[in-house]
Amino acid sequence: MAEFNIRTDSVDVEQIMRQIRARIKEKRGVDYTEQQIQELANVKLERFLDPKGIRSDLVEQFKRNRGTSPEPPNYGFEDTTLYETHRGIVRFFRKLLNPILKLFINPNPVVHVLHLQGQINNINAQQFRVREELDGLYYEVIHNLVLEVTRLGIENKNLKMRVESVNSRMDFDERRARALEGVVQYKPGSGPSREPRPVPARNFNDRQPQYSRPEPRPEQRPEPRTEQRPEQRNDARPEPVPDQPTSVAPQTQPAQGDQPPPADGSGTARRRRRRRRGRRGGRGRSLTETANAATAPAGSEAVASTPPHGDPTAEAAQSSDDEADAFDDSDSGSDSGGDEGPDTGQ
Amino acid sequence: MKLAIVVQRYGADINGGAELHARYVAEHLARHAQVTVLTTCARDYVTWHDEYAAGIEQINGVAVHRFSVDRDRDIKTFARWSDRVFEHEHSYLDELKWLDAEGPTSSALLNYIRAHHRSYDYFLFFSYRYYHAYHGARAVADRAILVPTAERDAAIGLGMTPPLFRGVRAIMYNSPEERRLIQAAAHNETVPGVVVGIGSEIPAEARADRFRQKYGITGRFALYLGRIDQNKGCKELFAFFLQALPALPKGLGLVLVGKEILPIPDHPRIRHLGFLYDQDKYDALAAADLLVMPSYYESLSMVALEAWALGKPVLANGKCEVLRGQCIRSKAGLYYETQAEFVETLRAIADGRSLNTALGVNGRQFFQQHYAWPVIEQKYLDMLKRLQGDDEAKRTPPGMEPEPGFFAKRRKTLRPAAEVLAELPSGPVLN
Repeated sequence: MAEFNIRTDSVDVEQIMRQIRARIKEKRGVDYTEQQIQELANVKLERFLDPKGIRSDLVEQFKRNRGTSPEPPNYGFEDTTLYETHRGIVRFFRKLLNPILKLFINPNPVVHVLHLQGQINNINAQQFRVREELDGLYYEVIHNLVLEVTRLGIENKNLKMRVESVNSRMDFDERRARALEGVVQYKPGSGPSREPRPVPARNFNDRQPQYSRPEPRPEQRPEPRTEQRPEQRNDARPEPVPDQPTSVAPQTQPAQGDQPPPADGSGTARRRRRRRRGRRGGRGRSLTETANAATAPAGSEAVASTPPHGDPTAEAAQSSDDEADAFDDSDSGSDSGGDEGPDTGQ
Repeated sequence: MKLAIVVQRYGADINGGAELHARYVAEHLARHAQVTVLTTCARDYVTWHDEYAAGIEQINGVAVHRFSVDRDRDIKTFARWSDRVFEHEHSYLDELKWLDAEGPTSSALLNYIRAHHRSYDYFLFFSYRYYHAYHGARAVADRAILVPTAERDAAIGLGMTPPLFRGVRAIMYNSPEERRLIQAAAHNETVPGVVVGIGSEIPAEARADRFRQKYGITGRFALYLGRIDQNKGCKELFAFFLQALPALPKGLGLVLVGKEILPIPDHPRIRHLGFLYDQDKYDALAAADLLVMPSYYESLSMVALEAWALGKPVLANGKCEVLRGQCIRSKAGLYYETQAEFVETLRAIADGRSLNTALGVNGRQFFQQHYAWPVIEQKYLDMLKRLQGDDEAKRTPPGMEPEPGFFAKRRKTLRPAAEVLAELPSGPVLN
């Protein structure tokens, strides 16, 4: 992250905060607060429940009616209910005259049916109460689900943006790798000799020039690309030459493949980048191409030691190198030592 | 001039915001007037249990008169009344019962204030939301100066507070945000008021190396000073800090100083040092890269002022309008509201050397300009002089409005306090 260069008298906290927010927005899109997520979730829930606008106030009504509804009216009906009264004398006469009533109608089935109905009403009321409690639970569950879906949606969006960012960084690295390979090949005054000649012997501990391509380990060595190369290699590696000056390194260019990293640890960052590039297997110039180019006959266009005027790869290499260095510097400044990991600010 | 400072708790070992504020003011005004502190025997702000002995004692050269509390606070009763008055329609009587449940209920203190009404020129009441301030200020309204220490909490929306804010002689506000909040709630613009705040006892020297040596802290760190409590925003701070670890500046740790109420995450980059004495606290500030203030509610952050006094930038919770306003006005701190903002602002302050220095320099300047003790003392003295001038000129203040009558007090016509609070203006005051 670029540092804010600020003079004491010109600090504008609000302006700094605006810049920080703009930077965050640029990096990871809109950053929602918990409250905003809640609001979004509520909006979505209402839309979900009211897709065709049939009942736009459904959720409101539901919320309003979420309190426990009053107990539905019911009655208790027993065999004595027909004759109940608070006056004892009346009750006595009703019972006394009951046989006369039975001459006209039979009240027993009526009493039985009403008693049953009372019981059915009770069962219904209980089921209704359970249902009502479940409704509240369902609402909570749906609400939480929508909340989580909203949160996931936002996270998904952020992740997409991060993937895009990583993609663009990868593209940038690949372009840079290609450009660097171009530089290796066309570096003025340091290109490969026009005449094929044996590779000079090198000590593995010698420091490699930054633009030389690493040599493969023996067990990983690819199939020889030209018929002469194995012999050349055997001939060229009879004995190590200690303290070989790095200026001769470009001449070692034809020896292709991954070479073990030097033990002195210098230029580690660059080697790490190179290794990463190697792992990605980028779209840059392939080893074969480079090898062929390096071992091509003297008159070939491809091995001209100076690039053609206006060669875009050379310019790109120059600029991309600068950019990449700046990028790596900023990275190393922000990463924590013991907690290496993705930059969540990205 | 004889002044009485009335506060809920008082003591050299009490570090609560309003109480420390009261102590500092008492000790500094004692150089200009005869100051007596009237307080309770309570030490614990949750229970108000009598722990100090009743009577008179001297603390740092100031006479302190303690009165016993009638009863300890019953948390459940208080919570029930809080729910009633904050969330439901209620009556004036309900609010009085809420106040009674909140405490510290000390009839001895109130009786003393009533009996010695004429013995003091002015009474400075601290913290409007407590029992002693409401009843005390009503008892001696013509001599009452209120230091409300109001935060943006629902108590400001209660129906009984506006008459209190309108009826006192003067109000010493802590911040422009607090003044706006109170004026919007009570429409008390005619009551003399001034934004004062509080100074701090900054030692002549604060040594970072002494702190590092004593506590074995070698790396860079952000410092949190205060009670480690969810109400202070510490839970959010831990979550933000732990989630942001990979993106944080290299080696930057979090050092916590204060009493642990919330469990602290066990992580090598978080260190808890417990309670520190003042010199160690200032040494810690000197060693820190910045101070973090995650609190949502503050009427004035004394630790932020102390950090600024020592030239340290502050990273504050932007949801707290007072802290946010202070950061903007002082040009000495940044603020965050989200995880991403926390990371970016922390990185900006910790990694940006020029920004860090500029904020620190501004903070020191802001403190010297507004919160140095001579400035604070002068504001109090000016206010007292103004009130004395009014008294001599017989300009009578409007006085305290009477409480509602027997029936009116019982009518449930008052809106939920939280609802009233929601309608009050928010955000930092920038001019």
